[in-house]
Amino acid sequence: MELTTILFYLFASVTLGSATIMVFSKNIVHSAFALMFTLMGVAALYVLLYADFLAATQLLVYVGGILILILFGVMLTSQGYSLSFKTITVNLLPASLISVAVAVLLIFAFLSTDWTISEVAERSDTVYDLGMLLMGDYILPFIAVGVLLLVAIIGAILMSTRLSAENNGAS
Amino acid sequence: MSQILLNINPIAILVHAAIPLTIILVYALVAIWGERKIAGFIQDRLGPMRVGGWHGWAQSIADLLKLIQKEDIIPTDASRFLFKFAPFMMFAASYAAFAVIPFSSAYIGSMVNIGVFYLLAVTSVLTLSVIMAGWASNNKWSLLGGMRSAAQMVSYEVPTIASVLTVVLVAGSLNLMTVTELQAGNDILGFLPNWLIFQNPFLIVAFIIFFISILAESHRVPFDLPESESELVGGYQTEYSGMRWAMFMLAEYADMLLLSLLGATLFFGGWNSPFGDFMGGPLWGFFWFMLKGLLLVIVMMWIRWTLPRYRVDQLMHICWSILIPLSFINLVLTALWEVIF
Amino acid sequence: MLNAVKQSWLTFRSIFTGMGVTIRHFFGKSVTLQYPDEKMELPKGARSRLFVNIDDCIGCNLCARACPVNCIDIETVAATQDVDLGKTSTGNPKRFWLTLFDIDMAKCMYCDLCVHPCPTNCIYMVPEYEYSEYDRINLVYHFSNLEPEMVAEVKVKAELEAEQKKRDREEMMRKKAEEKAKKELEEKKKAAEESKKEDKEEE
Repeated sequence: MELTTILFYLFASVTLGSATIMVFSKNIVHSAFALMFTLMGVAALYVLLYADFLAATQLLVYVGGILILILFGVMLTSQGYSLSFKTITVNLLPASLISVAVAVLLIFAFLSTDWTISEVAERSDTVYDLGMLLMGDYILPFIAVGVLLLVAIIGAILMSTRLSAENNGAS
Repeated sequence: MSQILLNINPIAILVHAAIPLTIILVYALVAIWGERKIAGFIQDRLGPMRVGGWHGWAQSIADLLKLIQKEDIIPTDASRFLFKFAPFMMFAASYAAFAVIPFSSAYIGSMVNIGVFYLLAVTSVLTLSVIMAGWASNNKWSLLGGMRSAAQMVSYEVPTIASVLTVVLVAGSLNLMTVTELQAGNDILGFLPNWLIFQNPFLIVAFIIFFISILAESHRVPFDLPESESELVGGYQTEYSGMRWAMFMLAEYADMLLLSLLGATLFFGGWNSPFGDFMGGPLWGFFWFMLKGLLLVIVMMWIRWTLPRYRVDQLMHICWSILIPLSFINLVLTALWEVIF
Repeated sequence: MLNAVKQSWLTFRSIFTGMGVTIRHFFGKSVTLQYPDEKMELPKGARSRLFVNIDDCIGCNLCARACPVNCIDIETVAATQDVDLGKTSTGNPKRFWLTLFDIDMAKCMYCDLCVHPCPTNCIYMVPEYEYSEYDRINLVYHFSNLEPEMVAEVKVKAELEAEQKKRDREEMMRKKAEEKAKKELEEKKKAAEESKKEDKEEE
């Protein structure tokens, strides 16, 4: 077997295994750390697909940003980190029906699609192409996302200042 | 990449990967001894003097031998897997980031074109390992250390990235090898080397922001709140002993070296000699690069034994209301400078 | 804005001032003494371990009496007539064998009170402070230089002499008493004779 194939299966099993742990773990912090392995495994799979920029972004944004904020939130919530979940199944019949339906749909889609397997040319400069695309063809969505984030930031600042002002007024 | 992996012998990959590891390990031994010596001299003491003869040079080796012999203690109520895993993940994160550091004109771990972006992404995993250690120890000091670390590193990543972005804007590349090659030669004012810090007044500001941020990112005084020994015992390291603790120490020093070397690459010409072609070449390049990096490390140690620690709110205030606005203004001004000149 | 610039300037200036101070100390001389290799000289009058120059001791027991914690233990035996113990360096004649002179440094509280009463200045403190022991019993310092056999011999001799003296004295007392008795008897006789004579003369 090729080294790449071995690496693919290694990272795929890490991703799937940790995702399973994430879903079935009874401890919310364990779930969060399992999510970290999942995200890292996905980043590794991106690397194997020549999407190195995407992989680094995945690490920086999801692992280095969002996951830390999740953990931070969980730990700041009182007793959040010692809370245990019930992972028993409720609504057994509808849930199993829906999952079977989804599974059938997915398998059908997988089998019926005409997968074209093509050798991806090795890119040496993904950053340049990405930049050209973002500033060219996709300029509108790019700016829209920027405006959205700006609005979110302003909203967060507004909320926190109003909250602190109310607190000051109350005290 | 699969082509590359196909063509290269796995043993060659291992040898390739062992070079930065060797550098880190040797550096850690020297740096821990050096830090204790510097601390001693600054406080009018002598520091370690006994082990190995001349100025106790073998002190770190003796400490390492002691740590190997120590019992591996895992608290009963700790989360066993995460507790055991955290130190290794921390070291793995700092070590993985060394892949894109150009140690000399002839050696770089990986020529990926996202270089510095990859480095910043991988080091953000460090934060998670600190939180992991803090939470898994099931100890209030550790948890507080982990939380502080999370808040601190998430905040200080922003000015770090903004100041790195300033350099990338001027250099026009994310690959650190290309950034270094741009800084060859001595053209500024006729004698100064073409280092980026001399090229542009805004890059001096960027360097100051970068340096303050890497002090915070590598948990050095005055930003060592995650492990502040006077209030949190040892922060996230409180419950660790023996080799696991040594791994934390190693990772911390590796992180310090990594960020210093990044600073040397981005602002001080990397492996370029300060005298143009004189004393050039791959081996001299390695020498100059390590010299620049270690000088930054020494300045970090010097600051450690000079300044007291900041309070948590002061830390956040410095980051959010000074460094982040300043770094973004700086970024815009640099872009204007680049457009005008 | 101006205020912020001023504040930043102040911050940086204070940081560099601090770093200047530390770098001056970095190149300054260290104050550390490499202890077992180099030692600081104790100042004059430092209180430390007691020492007895046993050759000068006259066994007067003044130091033991001065000690507030009774850490000095002295036992003396009077020298017999046939030995001359010589004189101390200060010229005092020595009259006692010092069969025991122990100082328990575990009890000693370093008050220095035993040093001053000594008439021959033979007990004093030496600048010696590294005498920790694993067993407390080792902190009892023996200063008597007599061998155990010598001690026994001296004791026996002294006892013999004391007995001899006692016997002599008893003998003397007895002789004295006899003489006294004789005298009294004679005086009685004389008195009797004299009274007889007087009686005759009266008649």
